[in-house]
Amino acid sequence: MHRSLFITLLLLIFPLCSQSADQPSRVVSISLCTDQLLLLLADPSQIASISYLALEPNSSFMAQQAAHHPVNHAKAEELLTLKPDLILASEYSDRALVSLVQKLGLLVERFPLPSSIQGIQENISRMARLLGQEERGQQLIQQMKQRLEQIAQQQPAVRPKALFYQPNGYTSGENTLQNTALQLAGWRNLAAELGIQGYRAIDIEALLLAEPEQLFTSPYAPGSQSRAQQQLLHPALKRVTAGREMIEIDYKQWICGGPMIADAVEQLHQSLPP
Amino acid sequence: MRQPLPLTQKRLTGGLLLILAALFLLSLFIGSNPISLFQAMRDALLDTPSVIAMILTEIRLPRTLIAVVTGATLGLCGAAMQGLLRNPLASPGLIGSASGAALGAVCMLYFGLSSTLPMALPAGGVIGALAATLLVYLLAGRDAGTLTLILAGVAINAMALALIALLLNLAPSPYAVREIVLWMMGSIANHSMADFQIMLPGILLGWFLLMGTGRSLDALTLGEETATTMGFSLPLLRWRIFIAIALAVGSAISITGSIGFIGLVVPHLLRPLVNHQPSRLLLASAIGGAILLLAADICVRLFPAGTDIKVGVLTSLVGAPFFLYLIIKSRRYQL
Repeated sequence: MHRSLFITLLLLIFPLCSQSADQPSRVVSISLCTDQLLLLLADPSQIASISYLALEPNSSFMAQQAAHHPVNHAKAEELLTLKPDLILASEYSDRALVSLVQKLGLLVERFPLPSSIQGIQENISRMARLLGQEERGQQLIQQMKQRLEQIAQQQPAVRPKALFYQPNGYTSGENTLQNTALQLAGWRNLAAELGIQGYRAIDIEALLLAEPEQLFTSPYAPGSQSRAQQQLLHPALKRVTAGREMIEIDYKQWICGGPMIADAVEQLHQSLPP
Repeated sequence: MRQPLPLTQKRLTGGLLLILAALFLLSLFIGSNPISLFQAMRDALLDTPSVIAMILTEIRLPRTLIAVVTGATLGLCGAAMQGLLRNPLASPGLIGSASGAALGAVCMLYFGLSSTLPMALPAGGVIGALAATLLVYLLAGRDAGTLTLILAGVAINAMALALIALLLNLAPSPYAVREIVLWMMGSIANHSMADFQIMLPGILLGWFLLMGTGRSLDALTLGEETATTMGFSLPLLRWRIFIAIALAVGSAISITGSIGFIGLVVPHLLRPLVNHQPSRLLLASAIGGAILLLAADICVRLFPAGTDIKVGVLTSLVGAPFFLYLIIKSRRYQL
């Protein structure tokens, strides 16, 4: 009796102790995608620095929360003076920089850029584990799944044809977050059906021949001008979709895979024709 | 060396127009996807045009029209410039008009003015072209030799290109830097009918101004003094041609980017056919320029889809060796 009580007590206390001991207290993130997950999951006291990109309101979903933290520009000297106990980087962060700071004895964790809901969940739970915030991670995943589940139950009988169109004619084919979100929301992604893998430019004639019913775009730098961006204003694009304007989805919802993908899916779902 | 026989003006113009018409039709046929042209033309007349009609009228037709008027402008302005300066190497590309126009257009496009005021784009091109042309002319001096003029052109070209690169680096748009090559090489892809309408007024005005200069240019072949005694006002002619070139080249380049060597090559190819007469060369060079640029653009479209080769790459590949040939030839005369 005494022994079991003792063990129960031990079990209750031990995780608490071990958690606080394991929790990194000076975490530095050098990429936008890890910035966002860090801001979502960590206690503010755990965050030593985030990348300057996290402040950029068009691309960062967490720009408001990011304003309270010091920023870095992912330079080796900068990182050393921050004395981090964990550095978070993305798959595509500067390789030379990452191997340099690793040689100098710092712990670096690299996160892949997910293109599926599964991948997003894996990133969240891995980040939560590293930060010692498993419970918060589970919560975040559950919330996202619930919202997606709700939309999955209201699928249209006939899925309308959609295409994602970006400056310079880039579109999102298979293995992209945009493809995942379009499918979940109840659209057909013509780019994937045309056999496009990843992000690639689509010829405007091929686009017209595919006859999309709706075009979506995510302005990366709204308000600025270039030939690449002017391509979205081509009058044929509006005519082929029977006069429907291109719908803008905020880039910050899917520039990085994260729980905010649910926002994008909801928005795509609401733009389904009645 | 045997010279080709000079043709009568009517025959030459007719022949060139025939080639241009054939290329025009061919250009409508060639795109990234095969479409039935006949079906497309019929559909285009319907109230709700089909997709293939849209591809014809909104993608291929504007592209073809822009190629034709831009090529014609470059050929015509090259002939007028060579006539005025009596310099075989004068052309909008080498004298700075083209790069000046590109610089002016870049100022307007990337810093937001042309999005509120569409005509600001060709206006910027016209001002840039005029400024660069006058600068080269002043730098070289009125009676400049071939070499001096080319050197002044090289200097102004380098300056304009450096400024274009600088401005595009500073532009707020993240896509701007990658478009440096577009302004330096030129491209006719992905334009709409709206772009064609924007470039048209300046081009037509420029053509109109150049149309009546033929007789003065003929007189000028006899020397400046003779031309003056014959009653032609040289300063007036100079201004008229410079302004006309700025209007036409500036408007065209502000949409396409600077396309090289057409203004240089075409007048040379056609000169023997018009008996070295500047007045007859003007019209022939305009049609010849349209033919050359349209042919180059058709070639660009024949590359497999996804390879985005700028049309200026092709014209320069043909034009640069020709330029070398002209330099060697003119050196032989000087010796």
